[in-house]
Amino acid sequence: MPAPEPAGGVPDGLGSPDVAALIPIVRRIVAARVPDPATADDLVQETLARVLGAVGRIEPGMLEPYAIVTARNVVASMWRDQDRQRRHQHRVVDLRPSQSPDEGILAREDRVAMTEALTRLSERERRTLLAHEVSGQDTRSLAAELGSTAGAVAAQLNRTRARLRVEYLLALERVEPPTGRCRPVLIAISGGDRRRQREVDAAHHLLECELCARLSEPLMGRGRDRDDEIRVAVRTDSDVVAARQAAREAAAGIGFSPTELTEIATAVSEVVRNIVRFADAGEVLVELLDHPRRGIRITARDSGPGIADVDEALRDGYSTYHGLGLGLPGARRLMDEFALASERGRGTTVIMTKWREVG
Amino acid sequence: MTSSPRLFSILRQGTCLIASIHTALDDSQLMVFQRDLVERIGRDRARGVVIDVAALDVLDSFATRTLRDIAEMARLRGAATVIVGIQPEVAFTMVRLGLHTGAVSTALDLEEGLAVLGGRLAGPAVGGR
Repeated sequence: MPAPEPAGGVPDGLGSPDVAALIPIVRRIVAARVPDPATADDLVQETLARVLGAVGRIEPGMLEPYAIVTARNVVASMWRDQDRQRRHQHRVVDLRPSQSPDEGILAREDRVAMTEALTRLSERERRTLLAHEVSGQDTRSLAAELGSTAGAVAAQLNRTRARLRVEYLLALERVEPPTGRCRPVLIAISGGDRRRQREVDAAHHLLECELCARLSEPLMGRGRDRDDEIRVAVRTDSDVVAARQAAREAAAGIGFSPTELTEIATAVSEVVRNIVRFADAGEVLVELLDHPRRGIRITARDSGPGIADVDEALRDGYSTYHGLGLGLPGARRLMDEFALASERGRGTTVIMTKWREVG
Repeated sequence: MTSSPRLFSILRQGTCLIASIHTALDDSQLMVFQRDLVERIGRDRARGVVIDVAALDVLDSFATRTLRDIAEMARLRGAATVIVGIQPEVAFTMVRLGLHTGAVSTALDLEEGLAVLGGRLAGPAVGGR
């Protein structure tokens, strides 16, 4: 094997006596780390080639330490490559729509957890999912086999994926949810199904259940972007303006009057300001409603310190930062419905709704 | 003010300053506005200030308090303040919210605001309200 680069001053490759003398120690180092002899041989050759390439730059006495470090590096970079390959392998069986925000959690994907999660699905769910994702069978032919429709199969696949994500996280953490409500809530969040989330009262459960609050993080925001809901992440002052403008725009789309639009924007401004002021970060969700009337619902959630005395905070004139003390009570007056849930140390959720006057 | 587009402008007209807010401001931008305006009152020896808030999308509790503070600071610096351009729906909302601008003068628009100040400045004292 030739040296990869013509190293100045070293005319004859492995014939260099100094380098040849290094072979046993390099072989020992590599063999201690890599069991497969063929792979080990390759790595020894690569190490020697690198040492040879560098021999002109190394002081005579330093050749052996240099070779030892190089051998370790070569092995490590092979491990890195293998690891990268392993981590990217899941992309071959990509269980998600692309560009989802939970890249981070799946990068840490653990095969054992995934295997475990798969076993928790029903036989039918698992077979359908694998046929679709691994074998690439399309929903139409699956529907024909199952005596169903393509749309129903796609919906079922979505539900299965939502469950799989939850089971995967549970398996990864090796935990069993503490209450019977946990799984339904997590699955509703994982599926991005707002209606279902309301049915199981997900927002309140997340405040109560530490495990779900933690597990739901990577599942949040998974739902497909829909045009009847907008999310605004809140960190700084300018996000307050962004949130109230998003709410105003959404409300304008369903025919609220200019005064009502200003009321909504003002209420959002008051509530979201509290997130910036008291919590480090939060999120505002703006949803358009159809039932029982057209309306708009704003959910502002933060993971801040919580409000010590909710009744006090909702009283006119109560202020902890020299405001006018009209923030929360004012917002409540401007909206038709107003609910606040807060738990010390865990965060605050405000849900407020305004309905259209006429159909 | 740092970069374009300008969020507000403060122009001098005789002994008055005309401060126009051009867009929705967040809380920190409002504080910058307050600081700049109060500073300009001293520098330009202004005796009257008109603040045009027509472009503000909302006057919530913080914005209202900031305007009240500006007016009070201006008064302490010897200038009278008139707030102009509060939109009808904003006025409606402020009342429902329970907000009021206190003793601060208001006028319908810039023209009216300057007229109010003209009448006031022609009078004997500035320190009063």
